[in-house]
Order: sequence, then C-alpha cells, then structure tokens
Amino acid sequence: MSGGMGRTVLAALLVATVAGAQGAGAAEPKKAGPTQGIQLPRTTVIELKNGTRLILAEKHEVPLISFSAWLRGGALGEPQGKEGLASLTGQLLLKGAGKRDARQFAEAVDGVGAQLDVSPDREALRVEGQFMSRDQALMVELLSDLLMRPRFEAGELEKLRERLASELVSAKDGDPRSLMSLYFFAFHFAGHPYGRPVTGSEASLPTLTREDVLAYAKAQLGGDRLIFSVVGDFDTQQLARRLEAALGGWARAGAPAPVAPPTTVAKGRRVLLVDKPDATQTYFWLGNTGIARGDPDRVEVSLANSVLGGRFTSLLNTELRVKSGLSYGASSVVMRETQPGAVAIASYTKTESTGKAIDLSLEVLTRFRREGLDDAMLSSAKAYVLGQFPPQLETSSQLASKLAELAFHGLDSKDVDGFAAEVESATREQLRQVIQRVVPAPEDLTLVLVGKASAIRDVARRYGPVTEMKLSDKSFAPVAAPRR
Amino acid sequence: MHRQQWFIVALALLAGSSAGAQGRPGKAGPTPPGKTEPARLGAGIETRTLKNGLKIIVWPDQDIPNVSLYNFFRVGSRNERPGITGLSHFFEHMMFNGAKKFGPGQFDVVMEAAGGSNNASTSEDLTIYMDWFPRSALETIFELEGDRLAHLSFDAKSIESERGVVYSERRSVVDNDNMGALSEQVQATAFVAHPYQFTVIGWPSDIESWRLEDLQRFFQTYYAPNNATLVVAGAVTPAEIFALAEKHLGSIPAQPPPEPVRTKEPEQQGERRVLVRRAAQSPLLEVAYHGMDAKDPDLPALKLLLHILAEGESSRLHRRLVEEEQVAIHITQMFSLTFDPSLVWFIVDMPPGVDVARVEKLLGEELEKVRTQGVTDAELRKAKNITVASFWRGMETNSSRAYHLGTYELFLGDWRQLFEVPTRYEQVTREQLRKVAQRILNPDHRTVGVLLPTEEPPAPASKKEAGR
Repeated sequence: MSGGMGRTVLAALLVATVAGAQGAGAAEPKKAGPTQGIQLPRTTVIELKNGTRLILAEKHEVPLISFSAWLRGGALGEPQGKEGLASLTGQLLLKGAGKRDARQFAEAVDGVGAQLDVSPDREALRVEGQFMSRDQALMVELLSDLLMRPRFEAGELEKLRERLASELVSAKDGDPRSLMSLYFFAFHFAGHPYGRPVTGSEASLPTLTREDVLAYAKAQLGGDRLIFSVVGDFDTQQLARRLEAALGGWARAGAPAPVAPPTTVAKGRRVLLVDKPDATQTYFWLGNTGIARGDPDRVEVSLANSVLGGRFTSLLNTELRVKSGLSYGASSVVMRETQPGAVAIASYTKTESTGKAIDLSLEVLTRFRREGLDDAMLSSAKAYVLGQFPPQLETSSQLASKLAELAFHGLDSKDVDGFAAEVESATREQLRQVIQRVVPAPEDLTLVLVGKASAIRDVARRYGPVTEMKLSDKSFAPVAAPRR
Repeated sequence: MHRQQWFIVALALLAGSSAGAQGRPGKAGPTPPGKTEPARLGAGIETRTLKNGLKIIVWPDQDIPNVSLYNFFRVGSRNERPGITGLSHFFEHMMFNGAKKFGPGQFDVVMEAAGGSNNASTSEDLTIYMDWFPRSALETIFELEGDRLAHLSFDAKSIESERGVVYSERRSVVDNDNMGALSEQVQATAFVAHPYQFTVIGWPSDIESWRLEDLQRFFQTYYAPNNATLVVAGAVTPAEIFALAEKHLGSIPAQPPPEPVRTKEPEQQGERRVLVRRAAQSPLLEVAYHGMDAKDPDLPALKLLLHILAEGESSRLHRRLVEEEQVAIHITQMFSLTFDPSLVWFIVDMPPGVDVARVEKLLGEELEKVRTQGVTDAELRKAKNITVASFWRGMETNSSRAYHLGTYELFLGDWRQLFEVPTRYEQVTREQLRKVAQRILNPDHRTVGVLLPTEEPPAPASKKEAGR
C-alpha cells in the first residue's frame, strides 16, 4: 500500500540512489560535515566457474543477512507481444522449487520470519531477501532451489497470471500516481524495449503460456547471468563455501544476454491524454530521454536534478506547491539504465487548474535551462545531496543492492567512495553544460496527462498533437502509438 | 501521513518489532560479540526532561555520520470535533510556513542548505516531525525547531495556499483512490461517539473553512513543550543534545495540559455495513473490528494472531482467499498502537467481477475457525519468528530507532518497553491467542465496507462539449 507522508514531495527516483556506505564504525562522533564522504564496506568477490559473481561483505550490527541477486536479462529478454513474461517467470520462481511446492516454499520463508521477493525489471530480474543470521543454511537452500530448480507448475502459473492481470485493473482504481511511469514509457519509448510494460498488460498477460515461461527460463536464466551480493551478520569464508557448493553447478543460460539498443532524444512535442472520466485531478509527466547509468556527468545531473525537482525546495515544488498551492507535490525524476532513460517532471493538480500547472512547469523548465543556478543554489544542492547520501546505504539490504547494481553496470566502488569529492568539485559551468544537455528543451517534450478528458481535452491540445486512450484500455500504449 | 490506514502500515513494523528472542539451538550462525541482544542494543540511551516539561531521549550510534530527530506531539484527529476535522493535519503543514527568525519558506531552505531533509505525519493520536541530517547540521536544526515552536507565524496568504495543497493531497489519497474512499467511510461508520470517526485528512467542508483563530488556539494548546517528546538517534552524544535542547527549546513556556478526550466508544451491538458506489473496475471489501488500545495486555497476542491470519503467503487468509479460492488479489491486515481502542482491519483487493458476498463469507469462515479452534504450535512459532525478525529490521536505521523509541514512550509510557518486547511476545501462548480471537473477532463488533463499481461509468464527454 502506498501512502505519502504529510508533506513528502514526490519521490525523486534513482538519481539519488548513488549513496555511500557505513562510516567504518567510528567510535566517536566525527566532526564531519557534508564534506565527508562515506565508503562502501570491504567486499570479497568470487567468480565461480559458471560465471556467477559472488560479492560478500560482513556487517554485524544486527543479526540479519540481506542479499541481492541480479539476473541479467529481465524484460529485455521477452519476445515481442509477450510483455510481462519475465515478470511472470520471475514471480513463479517463488511458487514452488526443489522439494517444496508453493505452499511449503511460502511456509519455509514465513516460518523463520524471512523476507524473499522477486522484482522484475527491464534489464534484470532481481531476487532480494533478508533472513535472520541463524537461518543462513536455509537461505542458501531456498535461493539455490528457486534459481536452479523452479517447478513452474501449470496450476500456479495460471493463478499467478490471473492475479497479475487483476492487479493491473485494481491499480487503475487506485491513486494514478502509481501508473504514470508505465504510460510515459509506453508512449515515449514506443517501439523500443524500454517502452514495454514490465508488469505486462491486461492484453498481453492472458497470452502467456507455460511453454513461454519454460522457453524464457531456458534462454534467460543461468549461472553466467547471476550477480549475487550478500551483506550482513555472517562469516565470509563459511558463506562463500556454502554458496559455491550451492550455485557453482548452475548451467549457463541458453541464449546470449539481450542488450538494449540505443535510445534517442525525441524531437518536437506530443501529448498522450489518458481518460479517467471520474477524475477530479489531472496527473501529468512531461519529459524526454536523459542519461545512462554510467554517464560521466551523473553526479552533476544529480545536483541539477535536486535543484530542479529533487527536493522540497526545488524550483518545481516551490512554484507548484509552496507559492501557488496548485499541487501537493511537483518533482523531477531521472531514470538511468544501460541506455539513457527518461528524465521527466511529475505533478498533479485539480482538473480546473491543469493548464495553469503545466504552464508553470514549462516556465520553470525554460528558466532553469536559461539561467541555470546561482552560487547559493549550487552550494545548497551540494550540501543536500551529500547530507542525504549516507542514510541511503545504512542497512544491509541497501548495501547489498548497491553492490550488485554497481557490478551489474560494470561500475566500481568509486561510484560511492568518490561521490563526495565529485560533488564538491562540481562547478556552475559544468552544471550549465549538463543542464543544456540533459534537461529537456520545452519544445521537445513528451507529455502524458491522466485525467478527465472531457474537461481537459482542449487544454491538452495547447501543448502538441494529442493521442487519446482510456484508462480502462487493456494496454498502456495507445493503439496507434507513433513508432520510432 | 494523514489517515489511520497509512499510519498503521508504519506502525505495523513497530508492533511487529515485538517478538520472540528465541534462538533455535544448533542453528545459530556466527554471532558477533555484544551486538545482538536487545538490552545491549539500547545500552547507550539517555533521557532528560527540561524544566518546561519537554522530555528528550537520545540514542547515540556512530554507524553513519547522520542523525534522525523525531519530535512527537500528543495531538491528532482524536482531539478534533465537527467543523475542525483535519485541523491537526493542516496544522502540521503550517509548521513549515515561517516563524520569526526564519520567515516563510526559510525552514526548508535553511535545512536543505545544511544538508538536511524533513517530513511530518499526522495520525489519530500524534503529529510527528522528522528531520534527517548530517551531524554537521545539528545546531542549525535545533535553531529551526526552536524558532517555529517559540514564534510560529500565522500568515493569511500561507494559510490559503496551504489549503490548496492539502486539498490536492485529499484528492490523491481519497477522492481519486477507491481504497482511500472506502476506508474513510468504514472508519466513519465504525465509530459513533469517539473522535476516531473523523478522517485524519478532514472532511472537505472543514478543509474549506478552518479559520485563523482555530489555528492559533490549536498551537497554544497542543504545541507546548510539556505535550511533546523529542527523540534523537545517530552520530551524537546525549550531553550535546541536552545542551542544544536547553539552549534552543528550554525557554519555551509550558502550557496547561490539554483537555483529555473523555469519550469512550460504546460497545457495538451488531454488525454495521456501508456501501460505496464509485466508478471502478474492481470491487473492494474492508472488514474492521473494534480492537484495543496500546496498553492492553492482550496486545502481543492480537499482533501474533494477525500475523497468522494475514502476514505472508503462508498465512491463513492468503492461502484460502488468494491461492485456494482465487477470489482475492491481496489481503492486508492492519492494526496500530493507539491511545484509545482502535480498529483491526482486514482489507481485501479483488479481481473484477468477483462475487463480493462470497468473499465476505469465506473471510468470515476463516475468522470463525480461528475463534473456535485457535491456532497450531507451528503457526505460533512462525508468528513469533516474524516479530523477532521485524524487531531487528526496525533496529537497522537511525530513523526507525528514533521512531520506535518515541512510539513506545508515548503509547506504552516507557521507551524501555521496546527492548522488552521480544521477551513479552515469546511468552504468549496458544490459549491466549484463542481468547483474543474470541474477544476481538466478534461479528457483532464489526463494520463491513463494500465498494461496488457503479453500473455504468459516467457518461463520456459529448462531442459537443469536446469540440468547443
């Protein structure tokens, strides 16, 4: 269940997820300012013969072990028309494996108070979990079972497929904020794998068969695809031996890992209007294509994004919320993957003020590109980004995810350990260049509006050619989505 | 946060942070010395109460160079009345709109420039202010907090603008969210006398009509140091926190204690039902039973029972409704610590077209089964393991440590209870679970809320209107 806190600005996604590790457990409070960096924990990295990479880091504060397993492929490995196949396959891994059927598997996890989840992503399937340290042996057993010996039982498959489709319908009855990215990606990246809904759609899910799942698993799952990081209360040697014994025999995937083709910045403007006839509020995203995860300017982009829409006093939130009261929140997000992902402004306002809020967003965008930021803003952004960095790598789960994510993208610990120095050395001129390159030009924008079409259709037309669809349509893309 | 439902989600972690510190012999992994016993975990905590009544609790921990500061005020929708519903939450917003030294907008500007961020939440019982910041910002944070507590300004323009913000918030979480809309109706139906009936975000007409005098009186009454508890966790020493608090908050005068809430909800004498019709593709079902307050001795047994019923895919309700009968997508249970007895919720998401009456009957059957037959040893063991794991999970961050200390202090009267929770939960027996099931899951004490899709979606826009 979602649930914003009282005054949260929309979560600034991903760009802020850089983050550093624990401060090496100093005994005394440090005279540390925002100028202080933090370091990733020391890791032991082991490459198994089948290509699996193990990354282990001990952290003994509480008796828990967290892991993050990334399997390269994800939705990129789905055949055309089979949107949601990676997600279905991934979630089925938990529905019976090894000697346990779905029920016994769930009881084994819940029985020890553990958490175990699969998150299907566009470029990877992620399996993440947390166990009490005393249950380490069980953790390794369940994990190797689900990766290497999933059952893919037909009955479980059908149940899950139905449920995933129902979840999409149910989400459409809920807060539209949870759906905005799906519509934006589908419209903006139409024709590119990044446009595919990872969740699948109500149209695609019913077409998925057991044969599809088995074929996906054979082609896309295997020891060479696995990056497995573990952080927590364990002994490295002992756990490494266990993991090697359990995972070393996993065969390689049947197909080469899929690679995302390049993405491009879209020229001109176009508008998708998604009709929610009972809406009293319009939800919108305005954006374009931004940067890749490994972009050399990623730290400068983080700083720029925090000024534009990544914090409460950002330019966007100041205009749309603080000064005008038009919205509960306005933010900007930068999504980064192997290829450049979306950079977008997100907000919402009552139906009657839709045009006013969009105009104001465009004004902020234009001004930001024209004027950039002054010294005070830069210095504040630096302090903010640095000050909010350590708590992003405070828990064993956060650290495990970060270690796996860095390895997945071929990045090293400098991304964290060198973060503070990079932030401190950023100049206004660098920021100015980055803003010109990454922040969308107002004349080149994809706009997605979810709201009451009869009331906002004319407003939508002011921003570009409008494509319409209904929230109740069974796909996230309009039928005649332009292909690029 | 502004509705009980959301707040319960946060507190679930807390009440889940209870539970059995049992170790299974022979299964123990490597245990580092000195770090993994609850009592030792909180060994560095110190407290002090200033002359003006402000209680301060400090948990030093040097894992990261950051600090979490939580300030709890004993005020929420419980302290409201018709005409001013939602005022506690609205006031929470106003606390960021300027004071004497730091004018309009400056609270956030100054805090973010020092590397900090903040948020706040309101529930039925509490309003909580949270600051997360690097250690270097410590003095700045106390200056900011001191300024707004001593000298909050009530600017008419800010009030009007903030009214728009809160209305937008209401539209997102209630008006354009079917689950939010149904929960509000169930809550308002389950209570006939006690102010827990009010929606925390406030009824629309009240959002439109809060007055300056209401806000001023509210501030004077509830935002007094003797009505607050300040908790700080992170890279600090207790001595420096006490000194900063004395310097920046010590001169704010105490106020007469607020009027206690005397109303007790009379016993419900039969099931109540509420039907909501809205544009929707899927129906929703919520069943809420009158529960208990935070100090009730049956609380650990109830929490364990709720884990067995609806926590995880092996839970009874998930097994029956989602996996076996396939009539539901998710089942969520929610129950939070509260000053007065609050509701135990079961929330069922369903696929489109499902027979809601049948789902309700199946849910009722499972609840009746646990009332008459109780639970198994394995289920009790599982529930205790879930709570002990949640307890440790809640000890991983400065932020959750501060939150948990504060909630135990406020709801149970002593932060030390947090560390006693593992033992307390371990002692719960099957017989206690059976008794608590009989006490709470009484069909006469429940309110059933159903949201059904309107027969037809609202008429699509006419061509004429669209072409204008």
